[in-house]
Amino acid sequence: MEKSNLSNLMIRIQKNRDEMAFSEIFDFFAPKVNAYFIQNKIKFESSEELTQEVLSTVWVKSNLYDSTKSALSTWIFTIARNKKIDFFRKNSKINFQEEDIREFLYQDREVDPIEGNEAKKQIERINNELDEQQKIMIKMNFFENKSHKKIADELEIPLGTVKSRLRHILTKMQEFLR
Amino acid sequence: MNGTVVKNQLIFDFASGILGPAKSLFASTYLQLNSNASKISSTFENMLGENLMDNENIHPKNLTYSDCINSENIKSASNLKDPVTSFFGNLNNLDWKQVYKGFKEYTASIDDKDELKLIKMDPGVSVPLHSHGGKEYILVLEGSFCDEYGEYSKGDIQINDQRIKHTPIASKDTGCVCLSITEKDVIFFGKYGSFLNLFTFIKSFFKQK
Repeated sequence: MEKSNLSNLMIRIQKNRDEMAFSEIFDFFAPKVNAYFIQNKIKFESSEELTQEVLSTVWVKSNLYDSTKSALSTWIFTIARNKKIDFFRKNSKINFQEEDIREFLYQDREVDPIEGNEAKKQIERINNELDEQQKIMIKMNFFENKSHKKIADELEIPLGTVKSRLRHILTKMQEFLR
Repeated sequence: MNGTVVKNQLIFDFASGILGPAKSLFASTYLQLNSNASKISSTFENMLGENLMDNENIHPKNLTYSDCINSENIKSASNLKDPVTSFFGNLNNLDWKQVYKGFKEYTASIDDKDELKLIKMDPGVSVPLHSHGGKEYILVLEGSFCDEYGEYSKGDIQINDQRIKHTPIASKDTGCVCLSITEKDVIFFGKYGSFLNLFTFIKSFFKQK
């Protein structure tokens, strides 16, 4: 699905509480969010519960989403990531406070608007500069949070090579993110 | 040590969601106060968002969109406050412990391997030369301080490890309030060094309860 399509669906939810628009967003993101939890070593039953929480949050808190600040996929990623953090932690008192803190951060913090600006150019530049394997390694390391050992096994390259390549990628990203 | 690399590592780890509660609160505050850090994290989160966009599909078995519309588990946003206020409340009402004259600290009760502390230094007060057993992260919340390596003001972060010995001095005009993370206890040098080390050593016994 096109990104602009997703934004339009989101606007229909924000303005009219449009359930059909939500069902399309659900169909597109629920399997991807569910896969994210499974990639992060969460068992299927729990992953499904967490996916429900993420998509419910999208529905209930739709007004928090600001299309000038981030792509919809980024907003949904941060919700899923936060549910993952809460899932792996036991102290619910902190989790409750943290949820408020994260929402505050999303609304308050200073971010360049995403369209036609520096941030978008940066992302394009990073995407152009990194080769396929480097992109896969970023995904495995930061999105799926796999250990270096696991990355080595899956890509069938030595552990030392994984470590040095990741270090190289990070150095490269430092240059882009200045 | 290259400070920028460690700072960005903190931002990337925050974006990936792998920090413990102490560092997570620390990083949130950093992103709130430092617009450059906030931009880096937003760019990185957008990259991870694209990973989600292109992610494989594993369909939930028993979940429909109407389950999500009718779910009652999600409360709508309550009153949102900045990280430090929502965690510590009003800093003036905290039960600050005086470590020595002009230097106070408040340790957060947080269940984590890293220790999260607030530090308050009166104008012109200095910390005796010391280094660190593990890494120490310092974020300036108010005022400023300087040491052998530079000046740090609101939103600046300093990361120290074993190799760094320094003597921070709070600004003569404003003093400073900082948020700090310590991975392990600091090691003091100089005149009062052995005394302060003994103090930290004894203190660690009380912490184990």
